[in-house]
This record gives sequence, C-alpha cells and structure tokens, in this order.
Amino acid sequence: MPAPDSNPLAGSDGAVKHAVAPSLADVVRLAEISAAASQAFSQLLDSTIVREMRDIAVHLAATKREIGKLQANDIKNVRIPAAGNELKAVTRSTEAATNTILACAEAVMAADASDPARYKALVDEKMLQIFEACAFQDTAGQRVGKVVETLQHIEARVASFAAAVRAQDTPGPANDVERERAERRRRLHIHGPQDGGAAPDGSDLKDGRQAEIDKMFD
Amino acid sequence: MAIDHAMPVLVVDDYSTMIRIIRNLLRQLGFENVDDATDGSAALAKMRDRRYGLVISDWNMEPMTGYELLKQVRATPEFARTPFIMVTAEAKTENVIAAKKAGVNNYIVKPFNAQTLKTKIETVFAA
Repeated sequence: MPAPDSNPLAGSDGAVKHAVAPSLADVVRLAEISAAASQAFSQLLDSTIVREMRDIAVHLAATKREIGKLQANDIKNVRIPAAGNELKAVTRSTEAATNTILACAEAVMAADASDPARYKALVDEKMLQIFEACAFQDTAGQRVGKVVETLQHIEARVASFAAAVRAQDTPGPANDVERERAERRRRLHIHGPQDGGAAPDGSDLKDGRQAEIDKMFD
Repeated sequence: MAIDHAMPVLVVDDYSTMIRIIRNLLRQLGFENVDDATDGSAALAKMRDRRYGLVISDWNMEPMTGYELLKQVRATPEFARTPFIMVTAEAKTENVIAAKKAGVNNYIVKPFNAQTLKTKIETVFAA
C-alpha cells in the first residue's frame, strides 16, 4: 500500500509522468472511428433482427392462417353440438325401439294361449309392432354416419394444424376435471365395452371372452 | 344347494332397459321377486332394508360403481355372504381379477343370453 504522501502519478522509479491532453482533432477522429464501428455493428444487428422479425411475422401469419383453417368456432358452436344431438337422438330412438320390442315380448309372454285364434291375432299384432320398431336402425345408421363425418372433419383439420405448427403433444390431462375423471376410471377399472380383438397391450380378453372368464371361475 | 326361486333378487344397473331385460330373463328362470336399483349407493340402501338372496350388478354406474358396491357388500358383515354376480361390458382381464379379488361369485360379459345367466346362477348356488 503506497504511503499517504506518495504521488499516484509517480512511476516505479518515483518520477512523475505528466499526462498529455488530447487535441480536439484527436477527439473528433476517435468519435469518427467509434461511430463508423458502431454503425457497421448496428447495420449487422439491424439486418439480423429485421430478418428474424420478418421470419417470426411470416410464421405468425402462417400459424394464424392455420388457426383460421381449424374453424374452431364452427367446430365448437355448430358441428360438435350437432353431433351431440345426433347421438342423443340415436340413444332415444334405440331406447324407444327397445322398449317397444320388450313391451311386445312381455305382452306375448303374458298372453292367455287358451284361445288359439285370439292368441295368434295378438302375436301377429305384436310381431308387426316389433318389425316397425326395428325401422329405427335405418335412421340411427344415418345419424351415426353424420357423427362419423363430423369426426372426420375435425380430424382432418386438427391433423393439418398439427403438421403446420409442428405441434408437440404435452402428455397428461388438460385440466383438473379431466385428471379427476381419468384417475377415477383408473382406480375403479372403468374401460367401457371392448372391441372384439385384443388391446394393443394384449391385456383384454379376446373373442369368446365369456368362455375365458368362465375358466377363471372354474 | 337348491335354488330358492322365491328369494328376493336385486338387479343393479343404471339403464332401465337393461333392468327390464334382466328382470324378464329372471322371470323366465322362475324368479318373480326382483327389485332394482340404479347405482351402488341405491343398492346398499335397499340391502339395508331387505335381505336379498342374490345381487346382480352392472360395473360402470354413477356415483357408486358396481365394483365399489361389491367391496362394500363384502365389507359389511350382514351382507358379506350374499351371492354377487357382475353383469358388465367391462371385459378386461384386470376387471375380472379385481372383481374376483373383491369377492365376486361370478362374472358375465354383456351382451349375454338367458342360458349364460341361468348357468351362472346355478353355478353360484352349487358352490
């Protein structure tokens, strides 16, 4: 540490070196060099930023176009409610037909067969009602066809959107309700009806599954 | 063990149509004394009021499933030995194993026919 009275401008030999004041020309020259250098840097920076901003703008415009092509409002407000209504109508018509058929069967089973002519007339009448009730299958098939069409419409748009934005799936449920529902289904082993074939994990029972289950109870 | 066809049978299903179908099949098999409930908790309430000789239950119901009903039944001393048949569209092996572990007496996959129901009831009461 220097002694308190030592000169900070003194060299190691103790000699004082006097600073030379820069001339105005030196300052101007330095300023010109600095400005030229910073201008070149700014131009480089500007062109990079502008290019990146342009790329981002192009990407945003493309994403916006893809979002528009999704027709999310049409899907949410028109197509999904319409598909839901079609499925509700299928359920209603199926239920109505089943109830009609059951009622006919119950009437035939409860009928008094002691008078053959009367019994036959009743059976004929109930069979006719069963045939009529089975006509629901035609309209139900058409309604289900419309729902399948809606699903294909949504699938095509979502697939196009996912490809355009190179979407990466985030695994897991989308919200708490979905999470709770999935957890309940897992905890209570709720899977719903299975297709005839085995699941990809091979864990479900194949065709003739009742026979397989029976073996588990032997 | 001979089957007492006069015993009360409880059918638990959230679809009234399925209840009606099972009720008719049971009638054909000679069981006239059939009650019904639309979920596990409603079934438990009925079981507290009446002693049933057989419970036939669906699996997937709200709010209480047939699987939860089965576990509750087996955990309640007065119902613990009540024969319990699961009739369900749940056909995964894990479901059958879970039901067996919980104490189910037999398991029928929907759709089913009268013969299957008859055989299963006979098997349960023969055991």
